[in-house]
Amino acid sequence: MSVKVFRWRAIGPLLVLFVLAGVLWWLFADAIARRESQRVGTQLLGARVEIEHLHLDIANGRVLMRGLTIASPHEAFKNLLQADELVADLDVVPLTEKKLIINRIAANGLRFGTPRQTDGRVAAKSGEGVAGRVLAETREWASQFQIPVLRLATGKISIDSLDPRRLSTIPAAAALGAWADSSRRAWQAAFDTLRLGPTLDSASATLERLRRARATDLATLNEARLAVDRLKRARDRVTSLERSVKTGAADLQAGLAGLDSARRRDYGFARSLLKLPSFDAPAVGAALFAPAAIKPFEQVLYYAQLARRYMPPGMLPRATTGPSRVRRAGEDVRFPKERALPRFLLRSAELSFLLHPTSEQPQRYAGRLTGLTSDPALYGRPMLFAATGPQLVVGAMVNHLRDIPVDTGGATLGGITLPAFEVPGVPLRLDPGAATTELGFKLSGDTIHARFAIRSSNVTWTRDSALANTTIGGLIWHTVSGIANLDVEARLSGALHHPDLAVRSNLDQAIASRLRAVLGEQAAAAEKQVRDRVDALINDKVGPVRARVNQVQTEGQEQVAQQRGRIDELQKNLEQRLRQVLGGVRLP
Amino acid sequence: MLNVSFAGGLLGWALFVPVGFLLDPLFDWIGHSLLLAPSLRGLWTSLYNTPIIPLTNFNNTVVLGSLVFALVFAVPLFFALRWAVARYRVTVGERVRQSRFYRAVTASKVYNVYKMFRP
Repeated sequence: MSVKVFRWRAIGPLLVLFVLAGVLWWLFADAIARRESQRVGTQLLGARVEIEHLHLDIANGRVLMRGLTIASPHEAFKNLLQADELVADLDVVPLTEKKLIINRIAANGLRFGTPRQTDGRVAAKSGEGVAGRVLAETREWASQFQIPVLRLATGKISIDSLDPRRLSTIPAAAALGAWADSSRRAWQAAFDTLRLGPTLDSASATLERLRRARATDLATLNEARLAVDRLKRARDRVTSLERSVKTGAADLQAGLAGLDSARRRDYGFARSLLKLPSFDAPAVGAALFAPAAIKPFEQVLYYAQLARRYMPPGMLPRATTGPSRVRRAGEDVRFPKERALPRFLLRSAELSFLLHPTSEQPQRYAGRLTGLTSDPALYGRPMLFAATGPQLVVGAMVNHLRDIPVDTGGATLGGITLPAFEVPGVPLRLDPGAATTELGFKLSGDTIHARFAIRSSNVTWTRDSALANTTIGGLIWHTVSGIANLDVEARLSGALHHPDLAVRSNLDQAIASRLRAVLGEQAAAAEKQVRDRVDALINDKVGPVRARVNQVQTEGQEQVAQQRGRIDELQKNLEQRLRQVLGGVRLP
Repeated sequence: MLNVSFAGGLLGWALFVPVGFLLDPLFDWIGHSLLLAPSLRGLWTSLYNTPIIPLTNFNNTVVLGSLVFALVFAVPLFFALRWAVARYRVTVGERVRQSRFYRAVTASKVYNVYKMFRP
């Protein structure tokens, strides 16, 4: 009996199916690839990605893309970049492993910061996905910086009501008082458990008998030696308690010092209620330029954190949210393998781009990007980017090879016309003109060091007409209007979650001295007044607590010292009498 | 080639798609447990780095969970359904075959098309 391997009736429909699939691929593959590229790009960057034309040439391993536009994730009507044409050479075989390996991309006609008609932000509006979470995190990070505010609109100093419940010294004093009482009880309990009374009484009685004893009264001599041993052990226990009391007393003293710190914090808090203008030059610099300086740090941090999410170090399986579909998305788990290809790798990209595209003579630059990969540990080399030109130097390295990722970057851009902006708190508008900007950034693990600087030699100042007639406004105007140079530098350093921000400019000193001259006395008087109010509120609480702490400490130490003195005296008398009775003879 | 009743396939698809939706959380849990089990990491890593296999999306928790669930329940379901079909044929089936609706369908041209796919 012959076995039928094929059912020929089914082969026909199968062939039709294959032909149909081929025709559908021919008709729709480019459109599907274009749509999916837009979707994935938008999801990754948190900003709309648009592609005018995409053609897949799988046979030759080539993808051609025209009219690529990537919107800015931060600014509503601005593009991050546009590209006229991108040609990518792919490795076809890794596609069967669902891995995208791009050997080379040639990008022509890149333009940055071009305007757009519609709001291209996605993550900023939805807050969803990895990009949405990273954007929210970086926004929260940027909002932590306490930027001093220059209040020059009226030049008056106002004092808001001071709520005692918001002072930290009062609860701290109450806590310290309770702590002192608790220490007193604990020391008394420890002292009672020593049970020194019977030991001392017994030793005193033994001493009395020893005074009447002779050298042949061996029982009394032996009893005296036992009493000395008991006294020594009692002294050891007292020494141990003494150490405990000393430690506790030091802690209570630290608590008192904490009260002083809390009082200083309360002074600062009360001072913040005054809405005092700042007279310190660094604070003036921060008030004027910190809002503008934090933005570039925030944006660079956004991309660095995205890189850390998409290019994590190490080789462990990683679960990410699966693609959205009608059924539950689930999670996609990736399993990197040593000496295997990464899931995504762009070996090299040659970039050709324009700066000042709208000017009569746009400047053409060239850049190179290597080693952009989803699995840096597999690829084994960091991602590098460099671009140079007449007025531009950019370099960046994303090194996620080891457990502690290191991201560094630097850029110097000259001849850029920065937009004019209102200087916060000051009735002035500053037009920096053609300026040179510098940005340096290093994020090593969770430690950040960054620097942003703007330099311009032809700034223009415009006076706000609404405030032109105020005294302070006039003073500030006379101070800065003759200054043609602008030199602003912002530095960020420290732990990423709470770094220190320092901003300085060449205007700080001039504005600060003017402010101090006009408002200094008024501010000092107001500051003294608010300090007195804080003192009045907290002295009633702090004074008794301070006295109680000192009393507890003194009592504890005196009690220990007194008992220790009695023990020492009795031991000394017993040993002295023993020597007298024995006349220098040592008994076994 | 496998002999499968076209009508049976369609009926199964219509019946079990909603069940699939309902059981997605269970499939997700099963897939998550399996894919992230340390003892199976070597197997999944090998499969993930083998050509063609990643295209099956086996590394998705819902996909793997539903596959494993289907494999586990395929044999009991086979025996249960075989018993149910036998019971249907001796009880309700004959009455359905005698019904006007059934006779109208079998007399139509649609039934001739269906017969082309009948095993």
